[in-house]
Amino acid sequence: MADPAVSSGGSLTAGARGGSSKAASSPAENYHLARRRTLQVAVSALLTECGFESAEKAAVETLTEMMQSYITEIGRCAKAYCEHTARSIPTLPDTVVALIEMGFNVDTLPVYAKRSQRMVITAPPVTNSPVTPKALSAGQKRTHPAHIPSHFPEFPDPHTYIKTPTFREPVSDYQVVREKAATQRRDVERALTRFMAKTGETQSLFKDDITAFPLIAARPSTIPYLSALLPSELELQTLEETDSSEQDDQTDSENTTGNIINDDPGADKENSMLPPSGGVPSTKASEDNVIDNPYLRPVKKPKVRRKK
Amino acid sequence: MNRKKDKGFESPRPFKLTHQVVCINNINFQRKSVIGYVELTIFPTVVNLNRIKLNSKQCRIYRVRVNELEAPFIYNDPTLEVCHHESKQRNLNYFSSAYTAAVSAVDPDAGHGELVIKVPSELWKQGDDLKVLKVYIEFSLDQPKGGLHFVVPDVEGSMAERGAHVFSFGYQNSTRFWFPCVDSYSELCTWKLEFTVDASMVAVSCGDLVETIYTHDMRKKTFHYVLPIPTAAPNISLAVGPFEILVDPYMHEVTHFCLPQLLPLLKHSMSYLHEIFEFYEEILTCRYPYSCFKTVFVDEAYVQVSSYASMSIFSTNLLHSAMIIDQTPQTRRCLAQALAQQFFGCFISRMSWADEWVLKGISGYIYGLYLKKTFGVNEYRHWIKGELDKIVDYELKMGGVLLHPTFSGGKEKDNPTPHLHFSIKHPHTLSWEYYKMFQCKAHLVMRLIENRISMEFMLQVFNKLLSLASTASSQKYQSHMWSQMLLSTHAFLKSISNVSGKDIGPLIKQWVDQSGVVKFFGSFAFNRKRNVLELEIRQDYTSSGTQKYVGPIKVTVQELDGSFNHTLQIEENSLKHDIPCHSKSRRNKKKKIPLMNGEEVDMDLSAMDADSPLLWIRIDPDMSILRKVEFEQADFMWQYQLRYERDVVAQEEAISALEKFPTPASRLALTDILEQEQCFYKVRMQACFCLARIANAMVSTWQGPPAMKSLFTRMFCCKSCPNIVKTNNFINFQSYFLQKTMPVAMALLRDVQNLCPKDVLNFILDLIKYNDNRKNKFSDNYYRAELIEALTNSLTPAISINNEVRTVDNLNADVRLILEEITRFLNMEKLLPSFRNTITVSCLRAIRQLQKNGHIPSDPSLFKSYAQYGHFVDVRIAALEALVDYTRVERSATELQWLLVMVQNDPAHYVRHKILGMLCKNPPFTKTTDSALCNEALVDQLWKLMNSGTSHDWRLRCDAVNLYYTLFGLTRPSCLPLPELGLVLNLKEKKAVLNPTIKPELGVRIFTCPHSTQLRPAPPFNTMEDEDIDMETVHDSQAFIHHHLNLLERPSTPGKYSLQLWLFSGKEPPSVEQTMLTMPSTPAPSFSKETTSLSSKHSSEHSHHHHHHHHEHKKKKKKHKHKHKHKHKHESKDKEKERERDNSHVYSNSPASGRSLRSPSLSD
Repeated sequence: MADPAVSSGGSLTAGARGGSSKAASSPAENYHLARRRTLQVAVSALLTECGFESAEKAAVETLTEMMQSYITEIGRCAKAYCEHTARSIPTLPDTVVALIEMGFNVDTLPVYAKRSQRMVITAPPVTNSPVTPKALSAGQKRTHPAHIPSHFPEFPDPHTYIKTPTFREPVSDYQVVREKAATQRRDVERALTRFMAKTGETQSLFKDDITAFPLIAARPSTIPYLSALLPSELELQTLEETDSSEQDDQTDSENTTGNIINDDPGADKENSMLPPSGGVPSTKASEDNVIDNPYLRPVKKPKVRRKK
Repeated sequence: MNRKKDKGFESPRPFKLTHQVVCINNINFQRKSVIGYVELTIFPTVVNLNRIKLNSKQCRIYRVRVNELEAPFIYNDPTLEVCHHESKQRNLNYFSSAYTAAVSAVDPDAGHGELVIKVPSELWKQGDDLKVLKVYIEFSLDQPKGGLHFVVPDVEGSMAERGAHVFSFGYQNSTRFWFPCVDSYSELCTWKLEFTVDASMVAVSCGDLVETIYTHDMRKKTFHYVLPIPTAAPNISLAVGPFEILVDPYMHEVTHFCLPQLLPLLKHSMSYLHEIFEFYEEILTCRYPYSCFKTVFVDEAYVQVSSYASMSIFSTNLLHSAMIIDQTPQTRRCLAQALAQQFFGCFISRMSWADEWVLKGISGYIYGLYLKKTFGVNEYRHWIKGELDKIVDYELKMGGVLLHPTFSGGKEKDNPTPHLHFSIKHPHTLSWEYYKMFQCKAHLVMRLIENRISMEFMLQVFNKLLSLASTASSQKYQSHMWSQMLLSTHAFLKSISNVSGKDIGPLIKQWVDQSGVVKFFGSFAFNRKRNVLELEIRQDYTSSGTQKYVGPIKVTVQELDGSFNHTLQIEENSLKHDIPCHSKSRRNKKKKIPLMNGEEVDMDLSAMDADSPLLWIRIDPDMSILRKVEFEQADFMWQYQLRYERDVVAQEEAISALEKFPTPASRLALTDILEQEQCFYKVRMQACFCLARIANAMVSTWQGPPAMKSLFTRMFCCKSCPNIVKTNNFINFQSYFLQKTMPVAMALLRDVQNLCPKDVLNFILDLIKYNDNRKNKFSDNYYRAELIEALTNSLTPAISINNEVRTVDNLNADVRLILEEITRFLNMEKLLPSFRNTITVSCLRAIRQLQKNGHIPSDPSLFKSYAQYGHFVDVRIAALEALVDYTRVERSATELQWLLVMVQNDPAHYVRHKILGMLCKNPPFTKTTDSALCNEALVDQLWKLMNSGTSHDWRLRCDAVNLYYTLFGLTRPSCLPLPELGLVLNLKEKKAVLNPTIKPELGVRIFTCPHSTQLRPAPPFNTMEDEDIDMETVHDSQAFIHHHLNLLERPSTPGKYSLQLWLFSGKEPPSVEQTMLTMPSTPAPSFSKETTSLSSKHSSEHSHHHHHHHHEHKKKKKKHKHKHKHKHKHESKDKEKERERDNSHVYSNSPASGRSLRSPSLSD
């Protein structure tokens, strides 16, 4: 029953999530971990330089994080300046401007670099930069059409821009649709009525097993004719829907409603001569102020009796 | 025949009413009470008018003034308790005659009334100058049980927010229930009506609303109505409620009223009323007589439609939205009926009860014309056939229905309808079903008259009657023209003869003056040599409800050469009729066959008899006789008739006849009809059921799939997947009705094991499963309800093993599926109720059927909960029907009690009426069967119910009488112990002792009158011995009543029988005087009545004696007589009074019965 495409997708993401929670195993993660480690060593060295003998792990982590952010920001800034001048690789001046922009006094840098108590840190272990995993190729990549110069980027994979059917063809077989609609409605109705019966008072047809065929208890209402005569909202709703969709049939039925059986040939003519019911309210509205019906007249004030 | 006599209208009253004011200035919904006054302007027609009799029931009257002078009055209603409380009489004959006498005693058509006002002597001593009298009566009504109905929903909010309303109702002339009046259809006057109601409410009443004025505190407003057209009191009505108002968009003088929130429905339902107006005005060439018309839709209506002068009150359940198909024609019919009665019934009123048939007939007839025009000729003919079948079935079963009863000399012995257990002398003694049949017959007879004189003349007659009436209505009272607005049989017939110049005397004699229908048996033989059709028509005129017919009859013969009409003369002794045939049999020549309507069709003639040119024969095809025809012709003739005769009546007759011929040919004919779209849909629907029956009869030889299955699949299922029904589209109503009916008929199919075939059941379950109404613009509630009915029809009795208890585990698998569906439907209905709760109704029926067939335990509790007040009325009726059925099947005394309690207490009059009606139709036992349910307590209970428990509703009382008749018959119920002797007579010692077995509180009744007004002392026992009076026999009780009435008619001498008590109004001390008045009375609840009736009984005995009305044949019953006479001489008067008080508390809160409390005469 379940859609295979959907279910496979689901298991894929689930697998990925599971992998991340385990110990790092993929090369990309190893690479990142190693860099972070080097950064941590640098922070620790700086701390030692400043005279700390020990530090809490959390504090070190925080400092590492700050350091990383700072470096990242310098890189981002420098890159931005370089791109601003339409180059692609940042140069020293870019970096310097970036540092200045960030409020760093660049002049102090050479002095600081040549300080005596500087600790030497071992070079980070050489790790392979991670290989971007090859994207799942789906379908043939499109080649550039003639009007696009060849140096332009390639088209992405086709699945990214054309519809990929990942579900089954919808069932259009009439019989199955009807079957499904009927079953669905019946299930809903049964569930609903069972629920109502479970939660409210019930009557039973059997004495031995009062749960079999539970009937929602009959409850007298104070104004029984209202619910019996007025169409339910559901019906009104369907009526509106059909009305809008079957505008054409409307006039037809308007005429036939009255004459269920019309053997009298004159009757049709009779009906067609009638103003359509739609016209009635309008005439009524226009004549509203003309209608002189005693029940519409305002109620008179009582006459003030003159005494004496 | 006293038709000559009623040429001019003679008022039975010594005065003439000209104008009446009704003012109701307080309507309290909380307490359900009404306070008001009436003022009648009357012209005495005799010198020295000293008393005025008016009608009034259940009103409490505070004061009466005549021309500003306080007037004493008596209020006595003998119908409150028909037979006095202690009477041990329990036979219906006795009751019926007593009831008739009681109704007669207050009959306004005879000049009587419950309220007798003594005109102050100052006024009548003025001599012979006949002055106008103004009779002013203040009255109130507290929790009225009849006449006015309050609907007050029990919710939060003000009365208007709650939708509380009140309206008048009643069966025939019942206006006396809510204000004092002359409650006769023949006493016309003009009206001024004033109603002060809460400012949030509207008071709708007859006539023109002149103005609406706020009261001084601005909290209420007064509606002032004026009705200048002379109108009878029974045609006055009132409806008050927080109605929504809709002015008809086509006719601004027509206003519609409905209860809050229903305005959209009202708009839709009333959108075609103007067509009905136009139709009637056109055919009658007469404008609608009143200047305005109002329709009011109320809840808990007494009947669906009731018409009053210039307004009609309808049941709110007639309102529907545009989505509802089935209700639409029904509502239109109701509107058309109401409007027809506006012309004939309200505007033109009847002269006397005997003329009722004319008005009902004309209004029914023009209503039929409307049906023909709107719904078509087929529908009209189908309706006429239905009505004819109904009246014929009723008359053959219950005895004749008499349209124009005449009571010559008022002798009960001349009872024109001895076969009935009620009297037809008054509308109020009539059984409801009889009255319905009466109306049905009346319009059929009008149609017969039309056949005789042509529709053109008929309409001319109506026009003439209307124009006469409308001229009269605009005249002043002094012109004495108003009686032109009253229609009598005589005037009607005279008008017919004037207009048409035809003598319809024989027709009237046959159908109007005489009851019964005609029953024909027909058969034929074809004489080949003479080429003659020998038709034999016999009649049965000896069975009950039949009469002999002599006169012309039309016979239509369809031959190969065409259709030919022959008019035969039915005579006394000739049974055989020779009809020459036109065509020789020649089946080889291929030629089209001409039909009656000129059409020529090809027929496959292979089925017919080679020697005969006859295709089919019809007797009285136009239904111009009220008859039943049983005609014998060969099956192939019926089949030809079904296929080729174009008249729907012929087709329907053929279908019913084909049931007796379960052959493949019949099957084919029916299937062809089913498929033929030109064929009238109701014929096709009927064919479905016939086909099911034929299939069952042919079960062993049936070929192919179950009947109708492939047809249904072809018509309503998807082309690609034939097991799935198309999504609903009911735009074509004919196929909608067919789609609804076919599954119901299919479910009646049975296989060899007499079970519903498995694939039929699955088919129906699939229809339910795949039912999809989303794309439909009409509601499918009726369709789904029919599918449930189909499931119900598929049920067959469970195989039972020694009455094992029905449990879930041993439920049949198919039944389990059915039950699943019903459970789901019933539960869904709670969440999404359907229109008129049709689905709940079907589900309840299905559950009862499951119980009855032993699939689930038979249990009334579910039905009881659905029968409660507060459910929609259709649901209640369905649940009650199931309960009535349960009561019969399980012989349950508790459920019968439960039902009877509901009859007494339910707020909805319609429901009470229905329960009794259903109990009559499906009685727990009958007079011919024994049952444990039939016991003395039940007899007493029902007796009490009809005797006094239903005095506020004529219809209900007659229903109770019907039930009593169904259960116990006319005579003393068999379950009663042998009548006890009230006294043990020791003849030797000439001593009488109380029978010790009689309970004192039942038997106690003082016989000797405490007053000296008693004329005749009780005769000594030994003389009584010689009289053979047995009150239990029909004859005697009738004689008794008759005599009793005679006594009443006699000029009475002062202080003769009855003690009179004049109640003075207000706080004045009441005083007693003996007057010239004799209360017309029968056994009545009050003390004074008691003495009256008993004393008159004596006189009746005497008169029997003197007139030698001996009844020797009853000698053997001697012992049982005088049962409750002379019983206890020794009881104290005080005890008597106490009981009297109790009695009056039991059944009435009317002052009439409470009178004895205040009566000083009793303590004298």
